[in-house]
Amino acid sequence: MLAACQAAPLATATPSPSASATPKPSASATPAAAYPLTVTDDAGRAVTIAAEPTKIVSLAPSNTEVVCALDACDRLVGVTDFDDYPPQVKDVPKVVVQAVPDVEKIVAAEPSLVLAAGNQQTPQAVLDRLESLGIPLLVLYPQTLDGVYADIELVGRAIGVSERAATLTGEMRQRADAVAQAVAGAARPRVFYEVSVYQGVIYGAGTDSFLASMIELAGGEPVTGDATGVIQLENLVSADPQLILLGDAAYDASITAKSVAARPGWDGIAAVKDAAVKPMPDDLIITRPGPRIVDGLEALARAIHPESFE
Amino acid sequence: MRAAAVPAPRSLVGGPTLTRSAVVLGSGLVLLLGVLVLAVALGSVGIGIDDTARILAHRLLGIPMARTWSPGAETIIFDLRLPRVLSAMLVGAGLASAGTVFQALLRNPMADPYLIGTAAGASLGAIVGIVAPILVPALVLGAGTAWLGIGLVQVLAFAGGLLTVLVVYSIARSGGGVHVVTLLLTGYAISSILAAAVALLMFVSGRALGAVFAWLMGSLAAASWPSLAFATPLVAIALTLLVLRWRRLNLLLLGDTAAAHLGVDVEREKLVLTGLATLATSAVVAVSGTIGFVGLVVPHVLRLAIGPDHRLLLPASALFGASLLAFADLGARLAGGIPVGIVTALIGAPFFLWLLRRARVAPAA
Amino acid sequence: MTLLRVADLHFAYGRRPVLRGVSLAVERGELVALLGTNGSGKTTLLRLVAGTLRPSGGSVFVEGRPVGEWSRPELARRVAVLPQQLELPPGFRVGEVVEMGRAPHARRLFGRTEDDERAVERALRDADALELAQRPVDKLSGGERQRVLVAMALAQEPQLLLLDEPTLHLDVAHQLALLSTIDRLRRSRELTVVAVLHDLGMAAAFAPRVAVLHDGAVVAQGPPSEILSVQLVRRVFGVRADQARTADGGRHLVLRPG
Repeated sequence: MLAACQAAPLATATPSPSASATPKPSASATPAAAYPLTVTDDAGRAVTIAAEPTKIVSLAPSNTEVVCALDACDRLVGVTDFDDYPPQVKDVPKVVVQAVPDVEKIVAAEPSLVLAAGNQQTPQAVLDRLESLGIPLLVLYPQTLDGVYADIELVGRAIGVSERAATLTGEMRQRADAVAQAVAGAARPRVFYEVSVYQGVIYGAGTDSFLASMIELAGGEPVTGDATGVIQLENLVSADPQLILLGDAAYDASITAKSVAARPGWDGIAAVKDAAVKPMPDDLIITRPGPRIVDGLEALARAIHPESFE
Repeated sequence: MRAAAVPAPRSLVGGPTLTRSAVVLGSGLVLLLGVLVLAVALGSVGIGIDDTARILAHRLLGIPMARTWSPGAETIIFDLRLPRVLSAMLVGAGLASAGTVFQALLRNPMADPYLIGTAAGASLGAIVGIVAPILVPALVLGAGTAWLGIGLVQVLAFAGGLLTVLVVYSIARSGGGVHVVTLLLTGYAISSILAAAVALLMFVSGRALGAVFAWLMGSLAAASWPSLAFATPLVAIALTLLVLRWRRLNLLLLGDTAAAHLGVDVEREKLVLTGLATLATSAVVAVSGTIGFVGLVVPHVLRLAIGPDHRLLLPASALFGASLLAFADLGARLAGGIPVGIVTALIGAPFFLWLLRRARVAPAA
Repeated sequence: MTLLRVADLHFAYGRRPVLRGVSLAVERGELVALLGTNGSGKTTLLRLVAGTLRPSGGSVFVEGRPVGEWSRPELARRVAVLPQQLELPPGFRVGEVVEMGRAPHARRLFGRTEDDERAVERALRDADALELAQRPVDKLSGGERQRVLVAMALAQEPQLLLLDEPTLHLDVAHQLALLSTIDRLRRSRELTVVAVLHDLGMAAAFAPRVAVLHDGAVVAQGPPSEILSVQLVRRVFGVRADQARTADGGRHLVLRPG
């Protein structure tokens, strides 16, 4: 949900960061990375890592999942209190509480690498502070599925497990290709993915956002709001989505197809008239740009094109 | 001619005696040092008081000693807590002394350092600094690069505060004089305009809303050695010059006309005092965002406790304001890193209410 | 020697002229009462002498030098003003506010000199306020407050004391006491006093010389017994009066209602 809300100011400023992050897709040929090594992160920062990081702090659940998927879960010395996957990370000390990173705790963990999140999810002040203390820091902010692959490979390279990373992204690419094949040729419905509706302010996928790109890959035409994902009701009605997916229903049981139909002004939307409003219990993996993102893509494709997966 | 022709005792003239001043300022200094030790020793990561003391002795006094502590502990004490605690003290001192000056200048005990536009101007500047890189991605690199060790946000906040007061003052000025009520109303009007701009920017700030909010509530989370180095000389200069003007501040309490009869160039003095107090306020607001109540409550309480003579009141405000904010920030850190402005409001406002009630009950208040 | 000389003084608030060519000379040690109706320009004249207003024409000389050429502290060492009323800032003691009168003489950054202490003590004693020194200023009666203001002005050790209707808020007994004090000080300290007074009787009793302002100009000046005639009172104040003879052979005016 977090990464999906907004377009990509950071990446726009540093065009194609992922390209420089993965200079050698065939890195699997070299068994051990040569430290010190310098990598470029998603904020375009060149970061030099002196030795293989043994203590890693992750400031976002997606980053945690990447580290664990690379079999380096035991190197984590700090995570967020949102972290829930894989289950063993619940025992790792929490250095981000209620979305506020505690710099003291991060420093006390004496990390050899910090994996931060982009787009202010890790506040700029915290990035500046860690940087000024000389702690190696990678900002991960994938904008697309390809960006997720690139970030997995970036982290793999940084922590000396390039091979494992290449294997993982290879598997992910295969499954994503399978989804693409399954939905190829099918009609592409206009899909509105509801992130939240609060006090009449409607949040969906932002223009050019990660979520929008996921909907496209899953065989839908995303109905998007502005850069921050906000969409005016009248724009939503005039875009007339044929399918509404309720991401927020995963967290709030009171949000159902019925409650959506009862919202003033929504009853004119095609999806509401045709009863094509579905809760998305898998919201977390759809919007969390980690290694499980392909699971999310599959779930999204199944919701948009159930006929293709029968 | 009824009075006996005995030589008058020294106390006849009045004013704070040397002993009294020494007691007040001495106890303020002791309190400040106590808070400093406490606030540096406590935090979300437990570091023993013995290690804290050793790290400080080693880094500040250069005493060589065996390292019984981890490098992480040293970073926490010396690069995180110490600059933060010192920044809290600087901000507290700046706000409390500026509040004292504005209360005298506007002859209004409800005045605070933000009243004539500093807060609104600094807020707009800071929020432009926070939000602009998001709206105009080309600015991202500029925002990241520090300028003289401080960021775009600090520079814009400082400039915004100073500029706004300059505008307010020149609008309020008419016929060579500035009337207190006009100044207050002009400040209110300009602040309202700027507040609308702030609200607009907040609405479009998206993901940066958290940062904007933290700034508006006031937080010392971003305090660092460079920001401290930027603000300290400004506050020190302003404070020194203000304390040296204690006599004129006292005279202005008599009103513009009476002060003029006693030799004060009133309009010039008002301009100088406003300028110095705004300089201190803008410098500290750039470090911490807008922290409320310190600049209002500290001078008010101290005036009741030690009297209105600025010779003692002004330095005492700086000392006790410093302790208060460092203490409040300790609370904010221990409460999970909430903005310190929430703590000062939570403590300050009820205390202020109690004080108002007490003052009403007290005879001849 | 002429301490205060007002020469062809003009002043206007915006377009409304208040003073149109006032001339007046006051010798050292004199007590001159300024009389006139409300709006005749008496208070404006005082403000021009005190330097808080700037003339639109003509000049005011204090010790032979134009008021505008003295710096504020220089002027405050020579001219003190006793206002009608002054709200004293709460929290101070009487001794402390009287010491504020020493501000134009201040030589120490934070403390006071022995001269300052002597001057404050003498001012308190001369103003009959010595026993008030330790009292908080917010716990004074009207008469006491007026004595404190006198002490404050005396602490300035001025050559010239300006009184702006100082008796306005006092009862008759206190009015008499205040003016007696002022008159006594004029002699003992060789003070020069210019007082705006409302009460013609008080003016006649205390001022050896009065100047009557009417329509922004001095229409008469001289000893009150010669100046305050039935005709002048009628012309300037628009009231009718009778000349009466006192028991000791003096003359005074008795106002007639209607």
